[in-house]
Amino acid sequence: MRARYVAAAGLVLALAVATSTAAARTSAPKRASADKITIWLMDDAQKGWPSVVAAATRAFQVKHPGVEVDVQYQQWTQHLTKLDAALAGGNAPDVTEMGNTETFKYIKAKAFTALNQKAYPNSKTWISGLEESCKSGNRLYCVPYYAGARAVIYRKDFYKKAGIKGTAKTLDAFVADGRKLMKKYGKDKAFSAYYHPGKNWYASMAFVYDYGGAIARFKKGRWVGTLNSPQAMKGLTRLKAMVGQLSRASKTVDEAHPYPSIPMARGKAASFIGSSWEWPYTLDPKVGDPKLAKFLGAYPMPSHIKGRFMPTLLGGSTLAIPTASRNRGLAADWIKAFTATNQQRSLIRISGWVPNTTILVPVLKTNPQAEPFARAAKYSFSVPPAANWASVESSNVLQNMLSSIFTGRASIQKATTSASAQITRILNTR
Amino acid sequence: MSSTTQVAPTPVAPTAARPPARPRSRHLGRRVVVNLLGVLVFVVMVFPVYWMVATSFKTGQDILSYTPKWFPIPATLDNFGDAIHRDYFWSDVKNSLIVVGVVVGLSLVLAFLAALALAKFRFYGRRAFIVLIIAVQMVPLNALIIPLYILLSKAHQVDKLSGLIVTYLSFVLPFTIWTLRGFIIGVPRELEEAAMVDGSTRFGAFVRILLPLVAPGLVATSIFAFIQAWNEFIFAYVLLSSPEKQTLTVWLAGFITTRGTDWGPLMAGATLTALPVVVFFVLVHRRIAFGLTAGAVRG
Amino acid sequence: MSARFPAAAAPAAGTLRPRRRRRARPAVLAGRLAPYALLAPAAAVLGAVLAYPLYVLGRLSFERYGLAEIIQHKGVWVGLDNYTQILHDPQFWHVVVRTLAFTAVAVGSTMVLGTLIALLMGALGNFMRLVLATGLVFVWATPVVVAVTIWQWMVDYEFGVANWTLTKLHVGDFFHHDWFENPWSGFAVIAGVVVWGAIPFVAITLYAGLSQVPRELLEAASSDGANAWRVFRDITFPLMKPIFVILTTLSIIWDFQVFNQVWIMRDARPTEDYYVMSVYSFVESFRVSEYGLGSSIAVVMVLIMFAVAFFYIREMVKIGEAE
Repeated sequence: MRARYVAAAGLVLALAVATSTAAARTSAPKRASADKITIWLMDDAQKGWPSVVAAATRAFQVKHPGVEVDVQYQQWTQHLTKLDAALAGGNAPDVTEMGNTETFKYIKAKAFTALNQKAYPNSKTWISGLEESCKSGNRLYCVPYYAGARAVIYRKDFYKKAGIKGTAKTLDAFVADGRKLMKKYGKDKAFSAYYHPGKNWYASMAFVYDYGGAIARFKKGRWVGTLNSPQAMKGLTRLKAMVGQLSRASKTVDEAHPYPSIPMARGKAASFIGSSWEWPYTLDPKVGDPKLAKFLGAYPMPSHIKGRFMPTLLGGSTLAIPTASRNRGLAADWIKAFTATNQQRSLIRISGWVPNTTILVPVLKTNPQAEPFARAAKYSFSVPPAANWASVESSNVLQNMLSSIFTGRASIQKATTSASAQITRILNTR
Repeated sequence: MSSTTQVAPTPVAPTAARPPARPRSRHLGRRVVVNLLGVLVFVVMVFPVYWMVATSFKTGQDILSYTPKWFPIPATLDNFGDAIHRDYFWSDVKNSLIVVGVVVGLSLVLAFLAALALAKFRFYGRRAFIVLIIAVQMVPLNALIIPLYILLSKAHQVDKLSGLIVTYLSFVLPFTIWTLRGFIIGVPRELEEAAMVDGSTRFGAFVRILLPLVAPGLVATSIFAFIQAWNEFIFAYVLLSSPEKQTLTVWLAGFITTRGTDWGPLMAGATLTALPVVVFFVLVHRRIAFGLTAGAVRG
Repeated sequence: MSARFPAAAAPAAGTLRPRRRRRARPAVLAGRLAPYALLAPAAAVLGAVLAYPLYVLGRLSFERYGLAEIIQHKGVWVGLDNYTQILHDPQFWHVVVRTLAFTAVAVGSTMVLGTLIALLMGALGNFMRLVLATGLVFVWATPVVVAVTIWQWMVDYEFGVANWTLTKLHVGDFFHHDWFENPWSGFAVIAGVVVWGAIPFVAITLYAGLSQVPRELLEAASSDGANAWRVFRDITFPLMKPIFVILTTLSIIWDFQVFNQVWIMRDARPTEDYYVMSVYSFVESFRVSEYGLGSSIAVVMVLIMFAVAFFYIREMVKIGEAE
């Protein structure tokens, strides 16, 4: 009951902000409001599933004939600067795709319109990791789009030749398997049984969470960085030992330079933790080796606790409607068309990503390339849902910490303490 | 021509500026050493460019190989094909050419006039203006993104090539004015005055005498403006949102995605992007080499 | 005086040019307004496009202007807080020192190497000179983003040609050598790409200036027994001083603001020991949507650059004053 009044007040507030920003614009807007809506999607959709975008637009236009839909594809780098400029200048798009770790800040700044959750398809069964990044104070500010989990991608031929049967079910077994691989192939100085670039924080933080730690916790009304807790440090110690034994990857680059698929395609890596798209990427004729098709497989990274998987970071995207948009109703309808069940089904069939609803997860089970990732999503962790989390990511706190740990420039104690202090400071600013 | 002009002949013909043949008395050994040095410097400087061009002809397997392949054999045109067939390539080429063409053309005219004022006249505010245009070049462009966007948005110049053109003009003008001023100063007064003795107005003298003499300077600054405008990224990215309006530099950035970098097509796209600049440059480089400092030496 | 070097004839011919005094002309009023009229179009463009943003930049430096303020289109006045915050940040001072050191090394290397290459070009035969000039042209024409990507690719940990070559030449074991693990070596690479990209402009400009130094002077000096260094120091350099001043000033301004080379070389995730001023500015402010703080850092950058280049700027303004 009370929530309804709060929600109503919130809606009024949002409307007030929206109208005041509209008034702040000094001259009449160019765009006539009911003719055209502008959608900002990342170029992943352009390269991966353009047919889904087209189908959604067609469905939308059946309902709204005569409304032009202008889909403009953005690039992840600098897209927030571009969005900030658009918001500042009053040219905000009607729909914008956001990474799920980027939303908190914008929600807190009241950049997005509050939405009616019930109106969106499958909203009761949304993946909780994505839904969490859209909610603030019980109101919904964006719509889950898709998610990705990470699992171990490996070369069955290397495993077989090293005498490994099946795949590891515990972390100890994983390390033991890795050592067998290093014994067999490690003489090649470029070879890694498990390829782990130093700044790969997704895979590294999994160890922290697996041992019961966390990046930060909300205690007594403020955020506290907790990477120097005993559990977190234990996880990182385990990781450092494992990386020292099994990986020859650079300690100062992230998981994109190069994508581990490349060394794997060249026979220099037996396994790595990656997203589902990195499996077909290893077979890409332009950069990988299509002949490896029958030798690749994937399985969830095992936890140090028997019977569980190491938690995977649920990364994904959401769709939001800026408060500055002048076509919120149309924008909402487009989002509904785009996240409709059949569009989601096409999306995950084409791309192998995890859908925004648990209802469709079984669809992935029929796709052997996507199934292990969907299975791995069972145990997941999210970044701290703090408004300033994006600043922690932009400041590269985690990557720098990991880099100094792996290169040995700082002890784990020192690196984590310093990183935790930074995280505490950043998350509590303002 | 009157006799006074012969005291200081015009520095117009570039070939005339070529240094004379070196004294033949130098012995062969020194010449060989110097030429070898020249080759060495050439190889060292040009190697990265060679690597870019070679990579664009290599297959993906050869690019991402643990043992570097020095020559792109077997060569493939697939990367170029891939790059050209990407969405919006041709429209982005067109946009880049339009933007750069207008920026270069307008900046030359505006800068020449302004440089005339600064070089040939004494007036209140002259020194301040000079210091201002130097100071403006010190402002980091990143800091101007949001304020500039707000301004252009109010003027409805966002997502329009004209907005970008006007932005680039303001970036390019300070250097262009400053350089052309140096050139104009370098032209001997006698020529101008001789023309006026012959009956032309001051402005007529500017156009008929001065302009041809600073032509090399105009060429030099036009190349600089070309390169600045052609390779600029962040403002083109932020100010233009429609993909069919974007420039080639923004298009090029699209090769680096979250799903892997397409090295081959990226290098091919980069080679294609660098080509117009190189062509323009090679066509006019003789004139600049001379032009850039015709005036400056005299101080 | 040789007909071929009119420009360089100036010093000797200075007596021929009347001291600066405009002779009386008809239409003096038109003459008085003329400079303003000529200046007007360029000033109008600069004013229209830059005046407001520069004013906003200045104003934002005294405001808190984060995401919330962007949405509301209104900043919050905080006076000197942004400046105090920067100046009290110990990292800021490290960054300033690092940037100044980097600029000094980059500008110094560019000018020295550029001069040497210009001198080399002067000594080459026509064909070799053309080849070298064209090569330099290619380098200048390569977009910065592309150039950095190539360099990064050349020193890549896994696939870099540098590691492979150095190992093969038995310079040492460079297998899987990480050039960026140690910031000194990392900055050497970054300085390499910066200087490499800057040399063509400097070398070609200096060469052009060199070609105007009267041959007779040089030959007279060397036949008097002066060695190459003294010829350079006593004849060439003084005649070319204005160009050196221009180029050095420009180089300082450009190298101080280096951003792309560092940013892209570190995959858009530089660690703190790679922060130069523009990177620090970007990470501390724009990247986290704190545009007020970012503006104050930009203002501080301009002030520092102005201070560092002050001497050169004064020279610049004086050049041509004698007209």
